[in-house]
Amino acid sequence: MAKGRHWVALWLVAFLVTTWLVYARQTAAIRAARELADLRARRANLDGHRADLERRVRAAESRAVLVPRAQARLGLHLPSDSEIVLVPAPSGSR
Amino acid sequence: MARPAVRIQVVEFGVLVGLALLVGRAAQVQILHGRRWAEEAQAQRTERIVLQARRGTLYDRHGTPLAVTQETYHVGIAPNELRDPAADGALISRRLGLTARTWQEALRRRYAYFAGPYSALEVQPLRSVRGVHLESVLNRFYPDPAVARATIGRLGDDGLAASGLERTLDSLLAGRAGAAVVLKDRAGREYESPARVIAPPVPGLDVVLTLDAELQEIAQRALDDALRRMDADAGDVVMLDPGTGEVLALASRQRDGSARPSAFTDTFEPGSLAKIFAAAALLSLRRVSPTDHVSGEGGKWRVLGRTITDDDPQPSLTMADAIRVSSNIAIAKFAARLTPAEQYATLRDFGFGAFTGIEFPAEATGRLRPPSEWTRPSAASLAMGYELSVTPIQVAMAYGALANDGLLLQPTLVREVRSASGGGVRYRHRPEPVRRVVSRDVAAALRNLLRGVVERGTGTEAALTNFPVAAKTGTARRVVNGRYAAGEYTASFAALFPADQPQLVLVVKLDNPHKGSYFAAQTAAPVTRSMLEQALAARTVALDRARLSTAAPRATAAPADDDGGLVPYVVPWPYQPDSAGVGPRRAVPDVAGLGMREAVRTLHRRGFRVALRGWGVAEHTWPAAGDSAAAGSMVTLFADPHAGDRVRSRGAAPPRRGPRR
Repeated sequence: MAKGRHWVALWLVAFLVTTWLVYARQTAAIRAARELADLRARRANLDGHRADLERRVRAAESRAVLVPRAQARLGLHLPSDSEIVLVPAPSGSR
Repeated sequence: MARPAVRIQVVEFGVLVGLALLVGRAAQVQILHGRRWAEEAQAQRTERIVLQARRGTLYDRHGTPLAVTQETYHVGIAPNELRDPAADGALISRRLGLTARTWQEALRRRYAYFAGPYSALEVQPLRSVRGVHLESVLNRFYPDPAVARATIGRLGDDGLAASGLERTLDSLLAGRAGAAVVLKDRAGREYESPARVIAPPVPGLDVVLTLDAELQEIAQRALDDALRRMDADAGDVVMLDPGTGEVLALASRQRDGSARPSAFTDTFEPGSLAKIFAAAALLSLRRVSPTDHVSGEGGKWRVLGRTITDDDPQPSLTMADAIRVSSNIAIAKFAARLTPAEQYATLRDFGFGAFTGIEFPAEATGRLRPPSEWTRPSAASLAMGYELSVTPIQVAMAYGALANDGLLLQPTLVREVRSASGGGVRYRHRPEPVRRVVSRDVAAALRNLLRGVVERGTGTEAALTNFPVAAKTGTARRVVNGRYAAGEYTASFAALFPADQPQLVLVVKLDNPHKGSYFAAQTAAPVTRSMLEQALAARTVALDRARLSTAAPRATAAPADDDGGLVPYVVPWPYQPDSAGVGPRRAVPDVAGLGMREAVRTLHRRGFRVALRGWGVAEHTWPAAGDSAAAGSMVTLFADPHAGDRVRSRGAAPPRRGPRR
């Protein structure tokens, strides 16, 4: 009888260990999945933020915005071609 | 009453039958129908989801993103899961832009769904709110929606490519969706467990277009401005690089502000723009010599039952005159030296009546009838640009052939195709010749004819002071419902910039300008000049300024040692005008010994325009230093190319002096 109880105890321990391993593994996986989801959300957020900033920079750099402001605030104008001089630099001056 | 033993046997038999039925049913469920039940159980516990592939990005030629794919969100709200409906509701309403009424209606529902799509920035504060369920979805986003909208196209509501390059390049951009299996509970909610990926999504390829975002903006703004000022019905602008066939800018606009790709799809009769092609045939076949003259007929010539008129009557015209003043009579007389087959073949060779082959989902061929369908006046009409319909992109490519020494190229909108995430280049555009249309010499002669148009002919409004331009005007009557409509015209202008070794072909077409003149010389030509000036002043525009500086007449006097070390330099903008204004005479400052950059800046500050002669160090000016000249007048700055070398050879620093006034 005693030998039989040992076997039962052994099987019970093996079962508990296996169950615990499965539980631990699942818990770690769910935690990792949650972290992954958080990181993805952060990346999406940063991507969105970058796109928004790029859009604002492009809008600010556009001629539709820059030219009127340059004219109104600084008294500048778009140069006519006679005011544009391309000066060929001698070789090696780069 | 049966004996007990019999009753026991009956009970045993009954139990056995029951067990047999149970085993049989178990066998039926497990063995016979096992697969079906297993699948049903699997379906209840798991769900197969589609993993969207990220659509490739569209860039302009300098790497500016024109169309990108971003993660956006649909938002689901479960009101009964909210911890604090009042506070949460205020936050949700603010982030999603909901009215109070909409939010109250949402609270009355078991589950409210807001399709959005909302950006990651908008939903970020909602991630931690219980009862808010975010569903991510990839969405197409256009950083500057107005840029080349008709050319780039859009995706439809179903997420599929609907128009423009999005549609043409869909097989490259779309990528391949993946699939995964996720676990879910009894209520159908997905567990936060890792999905089992069956097939990972393959992102689409990135495509670098040939478009130049800055040129595109210049073209769009110039076109919008022209339509508004001239009260025109519609317009198109095409800019391309004649050496590669790469389209740099494409702007199309209707009166109501809408943009459709009319540069590819809408045809028009080119009028005088086509005269240069008759000249091409005549020069190629040697049917005309530079000294040949025809009579101008006093501006009115009746031939084959039809009267041809000239707006600027000339007593006698050469071929150069015919192009320069855009004489209908002279070109019709010269074209009579061609057979119909020759005339047709030349126009066909320039690409008219055929698809250009550009990567766009819709393109019109225009109309060029074969000689068998011509009537008696057809030859004269075709020489004047009538009985022929073309698209702006066809005109641009045909003029591009003249710029490209007679070689017609296939136009393209795709410069490169790259793997996603900065991977390797899968495809890079190489110029694709279609055919040689005219010889190199004839192309050069034709460019000379076009140069005369801008210098002394109908295109003077497009002339630049420092850079030669070759161009042709075209003003043609418009066909409405199959008939020429009274008082309706198409003004068009095709230009090569610069006239020598052109880097840019521009075509401007304005439909029915109502305000002021309807002639291309007064409408489309100034628009072209304005765009060229802006392109020259822009830093990032795809112009080879080193080549331009040698093409500029005042710079050609100073040939560089070699072209390897040329550094493009545009005189600094902003320009600072002299406070004294323009008009009164003032002394020319002494700039001798200054570097060219400093010298030009000094003269500009004094209010003079500057023409350069040579490079190096400023030597003297004309008018000379100390002489008075009217503000705004041209001062020629002469440079000594060896002065800098002499200075350097002595081991001294280049002379620097502060600006003088």
